Amino acid sequence: MADKDDGGGAAGAAGDDGGEQGTVARLSRAVTLVNDFLATVCMNLAGIGLVILTVIFGWLVFGRYVLNSTPTWVEQISLLLVVFIAFLGASAGIQEKTHLNVDVMTMRMPRRIKAFLHAVVYLTLAGFGIFLAVYGFKLVQFKWGSLIPLIGWSEGIRVLPLFFGGVLITLFSLGHLLAMSRSGWDKITGIEPDELGD
Amino acid sequence: DAKEWRAWNIHVEGYPNTVAMDKFAELVKDKTGGSLEITNYHGGVLGNQPDAIEQVRIGALEVGNFNLGPMGTVIPETNVVSLPFIFKDLPHMHRVLGSEAGEVIKQGMMEKGLVPLAWYDSGARSFYNSKKPITQPSDVSGMKIRVMNNELFTGMVGALGGDGSPMAFSEVYQALKTGVVDGAENNWPSFESTGHFEVAGYYSLTQHLIIPECVCISKTAWDTLSDAEKKAVEEAAVESATLQQELWAKRSEQSKQKVIDSGVNYNEIADKAAFQDAMKPVYAKYIEANPAQADLIAKMQAVE
Amino acid sequence: MGLALLLGLFALGVLIGLPVAFCLGVAAVITVAYEGLPLVIAVQRLVSGISMFSLLAIPFFIFAGELMFHGGIAGHLVRFASSLVGRVRGGLGVVNVFSSMLFGGISGSAVADVSALGSILIPVMKEKGYSDDYAVNVTVTSSIAGIMIPPSHNMILFAVAAGGGISISKLFLAGVVPGVIMCVCLALAAYVVAVRRGYKSEPFPGMRNLFIHAVVALPGLFTAVIIVGGVLSGIFTVTESGAFGAIYAAVVTLIGYRTLTYEKFKTAVIRSVRTTAMVMILVACASLYAYMLTFYRVPSQMIDFMMGISENPIAILLMINLMLIVLGMIMDMAALILICTPIFLPVVMAIGMDPIQFGMVLMMNLGLGLCTPPVGACLFVGCAIGKVRMEKTVKTIWPFYAAILAALLLTTFVPAVSLTLPNLWQ
Ligand code: NA
Ligand code: NA
Repeated sequence: MADKDDGGGAAGAAGDDGGEQGTVARLSRAVTLVNDFLATVCMNLAGIGLVILTVIFGWLVFGRYVLNSTPTWVEQISLLLVVFIAFLGASAGIQEKTHLNVDVMTMRMPRRIKAFLHAVVYLTLAGFGIFLAVYGFKLVQFKWGSLIPLIGWSEGIRVLPLFFGGVLITLFSLGHLLAMSRSGWDKITGIEPDELGD
Repeated sequence: DAKEWRAWNIHVEGYPNTVAMDKFAELVKDKTGGSLEITNYHGGVLGNQPDAIEQVRIGALEVGNFNLGPMGTVIPETNVVSLPFIFKDLPHMHRVLGSEAGEVIKQGMMEKGLVPLAWYDSGARSFYNSKKPITQPSDVSGMKIRVMNNELFTGMVGALGGDGSPMAFSEVYQALKTGVVDGAENNWPSFESTGHFEVAGYYSLTQHLIIPECVCISKTAWDTLSDAEKKAVEEAAVESATLQQELWAKRSEQSKQKVIDSGVNYNEIADKAAFQDAMKPVYAKYIEANPAQADLIAKMQAVE
Repeated sequence: MGLALLLGLFALGVLIGLPVAFCLGVAAVITVAYEGLPLVIAVQRLVSGISMFSLLAIPFFIFAGELMFHGGIAGHLVRFASSLVGRVRGGLGVVNVFSSMLFGGISGSAVADVSALGSILIPVMKEKGYSDDYAVNVTVTSSIAGIMIPPSHNMILFAVAAGGGISISKLFLAGVVPGVIMCVCLALAAYVVAVRRGYKSEPFPGMRNLFIHAVVALPGLFTAVIIVGGVLSGIFTVTESGAFGAIYAAVVTLIGYRTLTYEKFKTAVIRSVRTTAMVMILVACASLYAYMLTFYRVPSQMIDFMMGISENPIAILLMINLMLIVLGMIMDMAALILICTPIFLPVVMAIGMDPIQFGMVLMMNLGLGLCTPPVGACLFVGCAIGKVRMEKTVKTIWPFYAAILAALLLTTFVPAVSLTLPNLWQ
């Protein structure tokens, strides 16, 4: 996590800008706390989604072979669940820093340039999050009148995870930026190596 | 300078629709004196049909060659063509689309931002399976049949006593081969080109679904055309439709011949009325859920 | 200009360290805006990219693998492999390769293979006097078996990127022979290096113990039988078989091995979600990116370009392999499958190569990329587990690269290697 130093500006260093520093640091710490909590909630919800996905597919097979009547809703609900798992999990990945990036070039750079580039990365991610939230919402509205076949729900539901994901990605990226302003440069990918996927 | 339009088509090179769409683009260029150029993107490379419909409605694409079947979730009026046995045969479908009922369907499409210019054929869908010939409704009883994603189709198989199972198209060959499903339903060319005839040896000409396709223009793009251009584009679409229908008939006959030569057991249905009767609960349920379309359905049925 | 923007922004994003999925997404969104296309379409491509039925199998394969791993099955597989092939010189090196082959039938991912087997085998190998670089090299390179031997979620990505016309069951079958050939080459390399370094063999535990180890490993290996057998026999579709595999894995580790606690189950779920989300966000963004590549007609232009350089199939295939190796060195596997398939598949089909065979070439090639610096997820994980510097392992990894290259060339130029099994089954 970004929250490695507990000392520093939080105690309110003396000096002219000390008060402001303290406020930023406190704010940043609060944001990190809230964001960590949000990310955990996302992961748990997505986890429940995965278990449901597995169980309903078990039910599909059971229905086809034992009940001789294939449940027709499983396919459509599963497709909704996958989008849900993907965007919730991917947003949480921003907070937990589990996304794969390439740091061969940035690795050998001076700290200040590295910090600058990482700020650019988080700003870009925040921008992408805003794009997802705004245009995701527009697509939800556009699709709202269409229906998903066989289950009859609105097609807009399919896009909702992108809207929420966009909001979360923005929050998480800005939170990291704030944390950087407090504790300086920190790694974008901070995971244990064995948690990498391919 | 010339307007540049992009067109979506799901079919591969050489398919009747693909040839016809290329002809359409060529005719549009000729007839507008080069003021409008259409680039075709064949093979569904810009997305599946629901996506492409959305892209045309939003104005990201200007032209689409759409099947009316999956359009029903967006444009309710188009769902009526998915009612089993609503059309007697291909010529009847064209008569209905040319009638007042056709105007109602067109109007529904216009309201959602699609301008339909001409109708293409996609033949008639019939049942095929790996078990036995279907000659009467009770033959379907107990069979697991793959259908497209639409309540009408699961309802149709259910009304015949079978289990209508929606399944991704890409999984069907495997599922037929291994008995996950007993049968599916499609037209001759698809039955042949998917190789399903290798694993489902009985094709029964129920012709339960005859679903038209259309050449649609995005409303926003259409509104930018001059009257002369509109006329040119419409003519081009209608001429391309004539070509498509010819090619389709030819292709259909070829596929049928190839499949029968390969040893598929093929039978026609002597008593179609028995199947149509079995659909009464499907119609009743549909009209109950969509009372606004009762009049449209009656109009369609009234066309001789 | 638009195309330059699309490619340039992506490269820029990679260089400044933006996560790869978002490099694709951001570059494509900006290009969509540049072309004046409605931006909601970009969102549509992101959603539609993952609302695909064939992708549903991916979370299931990942989940089944994680359950088996956290349920402790990897240890049983290693013990079985050890009693079976540990007797040769440099025994543990060969055992490592063989375990990867077995574990490949459970896991669909090379990185999972490295972390599952590496965390068991690398410490044991170091303890028995094998040098750390050797232990890591064997573990890392043999992990590609996880991709080649079915089930494999990367093959599903390939099928999806190819446009859905390729049968996943055939791809699964096709991977077996190239996967085994690659493992044989690697085992040979492991043996030769071990002999030159004077590593010892493992004692044979006796027929009785071999039998016991086999029986204990069997229920775990049965996951592969369920998933692959379920598909081939037609009891399940690919997706259903994945779900059933996951359910089976949960049941067998919970009731059979009794090693799956609630905590471990939860860990397996969360890790599966993490990997699934990473793969899916990549698929979503790659699908948007591919939309723009198609918009600029890159795939069809690529055919003209390659044919313009040479019309000799051998030259074209070597060229493609070289490009893939270079790309694989600097980029991640899943992203490359999704981007390269639509571009290269039409080219190889134009010179008469079967798409299934190309899939195998692509898998093995990009798998090699996972084991090379500067960007190689398997190599990173292996080095972290072995607590050894990447520079050190890479100095002695060449025999293993050579083994994979030999298998790769065989797979590239001998169609029968990939196609015999799927054709037989048909
Ligand atoms: Na595997
Ligand atoms: Na290994």
